[in-house]
Amino acid sequence: MSKIRLLTWMVMSLVATTVYATSEPEANPELAEANQLLRQLDRNLNPESYESYRKLINIEPDGKRKEFVLYSIKKGMDKVASVFLSPASEKGRSTLRLDENMWLYIPNVGKPMRITSLQSVVGGVFNNSDILRLDYSAEYAVTQIEAQNGETILHLKAKTKTVAYDKLKMWVNREKTLPTKIECLTAASMLIKTMVFKETKDFGNGIVRPSVIETDSPLHKGYKSVMIHANLNKRTFKDEIFTLTFMPNLESLRQ
Amino acid sequence: MRPSGIWWIVLTLYVTMAWAQEDYSFDLSEIEEKPCQFGGYFEFYPIVYGLDEDSTAHKLKFYDRDSEPLRYETNFTALLDGSYKKGTSEFRAIVNTDAKHDDLGWSEETTLYEGTWSLRPSPGLSFQVGKATLKWGKGYAWNPVAFLDRPKDPTDPELAREGFVVASADYIKSFEGPLKTFSFTPALVPVYDHLNEDLGQITGMNVAGRAYFLLHDTDIDFLFLAGPSKTTRYGMDFSRNITSNFEIHGELAIIRDYEQTFIDDTGTLYNRTTHATNTLLGLRYLTESETTTIFEYYHNATGFTESDMGDYYSFIDEGYNTYLASGDTSGLKRASSISKNHYSQKNPMRDYLYLRVSQKEPFDILYFTPSVTSILNVNDHSFSLGPEWLYTGVKNLELRLRTTFLVGDSYTEFGEKQSDFWVGLRARYHY
Repeated sequence: MSKIRLLTWMVMSLVATTVYATSEPEANPELAEANQLLRQLDRNLNPESYESYRKLINIEPDGKRKEFVLYSIKKGMDKVASVFLSPASEKGRSTLRLDENMWLYIPNVGKPMRITSLQSVVGGVFNNSDILRLDYSAEYAVTQIEAQNGETILHLKAKTKTVAYDKLKMWVNREKTLPTKIECLTAASMLIKTMVFKETKDFGNGIVRPSVIETDSPLHKGYKSVMIHANLNKRTFKDEIFTLTFMPNLESLRQ
Repeated sequence: MRPSGIWWIVLTLYVTMAWAQEDYSFDLSEIEEKPCQFGGYFEFYPIVYGLDEDSTAHKLKFYDRDSEPLRYETNFTALLDGSYKKGTSEFRAIVNTDAKHDDLGWSEETTLYEGTWSLRPSPGLSFQVGKATLKWGKGYAWNPVAFLDRPKDPTDPELAREGFVVASADYIKSFEGPLKTFSFTPALVPVYDHLNEDLGQITGMNVAGRAYFLLHDTDIDFLFLAGPSKTTRYGMDFSRNITSNFEIHGELAIIRDYEQTFIDDTGTLYNRTTHATNTLLGLRYLTESETTTIFEYYHNATGFTESDMGDYYSFIDEGYNTYLASGDTSGLKRASSISKNHYSQKNPMRDYLYLRVSQKEPFDILYFTPSVTSILNVNDHSFSLGPEWLYTGVKNLELRLRTTFLVGDSYTEFGEKQSDFWVGLRARYHY
């Protein structure tokens, strides 16, 4: 009998802990509002499902540049894919992310192989999680909100240990509900990189967002990477596109 | 302050402001889609071999040549990858031309690596006919389940390879829940005169297939090949990220009635038929400082034992001694023919370990990746060790300096290769 009682107590404790853990952030109205703000910011940055073109520029301390052009698609909260259009040495390479699973496909060479969020398929300051980014609200929860010099600062904490950066400090323009700067931090609050959002542009269909993201990192002093967005359009895709089998054919989606 | 100091400050400020106000352009003509596309690369690859004149491979190949400690070889490669797309169908061809110059003169070979016509009526369904590489398996250096691919070169697994003529389809279905993706790839593989002859000697239509599952964040494949040209074989593979920087993978292939030809030390050929189970287990690990380690263990049950290889080496030595004594080359020619037909696998023995450690952009040198690769023959303890330096900092140019040392006793795999070491610089320009 005592065993049954103990088991019942353990199950109830587990349920109570789970309910507390999942409900705790929303129990604080300020944080609930901040998380809602983060979700709105995600929608302002891009529709839930979309296609876009991006140019990545790696700039070395001596000014030398290397540029990459990608076609990217996203669907829902957990599906992103990209294919390189240039330079010629990278053309046809594609990357796929399904939740925390990431793969790289290199044409003529081999089958898709698993890669990690911390790696970078392009070198420079951007890593795979920057290139295959999901919504911020899908990966992070707001733990603190503060106001500073007319801007709102959100302190974000990764929901799982598999996310590339454990913490983010995000400066938000409240009027436009768009980020202006993000600091990516380790669990020990060490700065990994800073992303600055610039040149807000109207992409049409109500999408108004920064078109340029500049990144630098204290880990790569003097180096800078830039991501430029173009032709960002709302578009829906079938789930079957976000699969390993389809990876070699991603470029066929371009219209 | 001296005028030169003022000029220096002005110049620094100008450069800093130019950096801060840099205007980034994205010309939309760069993303214009063209139905007809061409690409590929040109490659220049000079190699120096340090020959091991006591090895059986050297005796077999260079028995009638003067002694030479070094041999020079210059390789040129041109790969053309072209495609034409219209609606839901696409034609694609990859043609590779290798030209080589060494002390025997020039040689050249042009091969159609791939030539396919594909039709994609919907994202979940496609058909493909022509010469294609299917690239089955999860291993990096070896793929025991790649029943329809030519074997990789474990010392350079990322080299493009020639495909086989197949008719295949892909059916893909996505789901919500633990099973996220299912796909099925059936394939028909004909073997007739001048068609897929490398696949098997008996002509007829072979059937193969692969079922893929992304289940609980794990890639899982089940694969098979059956038909008259090869004995029935089936297997499975898997790949999974244990953490965000730690991946494991494996392959299992069962080959029924595998017939293997051996030679004894007197030169008599004999066959043995077995059911073989080939396995591969591997991992890829990335540290915070971007050191990538790839480690694999490969059990090749279709390979030879130390004793089998000892008989083979012994027969070559016997032929070479006969040649030295009498000038009779018949033994060496027979050994050469047997070597080509039955002992030509890149790694012909039973158990191997593969280790590759690469460091991305050390000392903040962008686009520079040094690495070291080693293959250990577990059975005879011989090994290869290859440091490599890769630089990709110039647009579309890839520079790769490679060297490999082959170490082993007499009558061991790497001890009996024709070289003790080789050094090569590969310059590949993509267009």
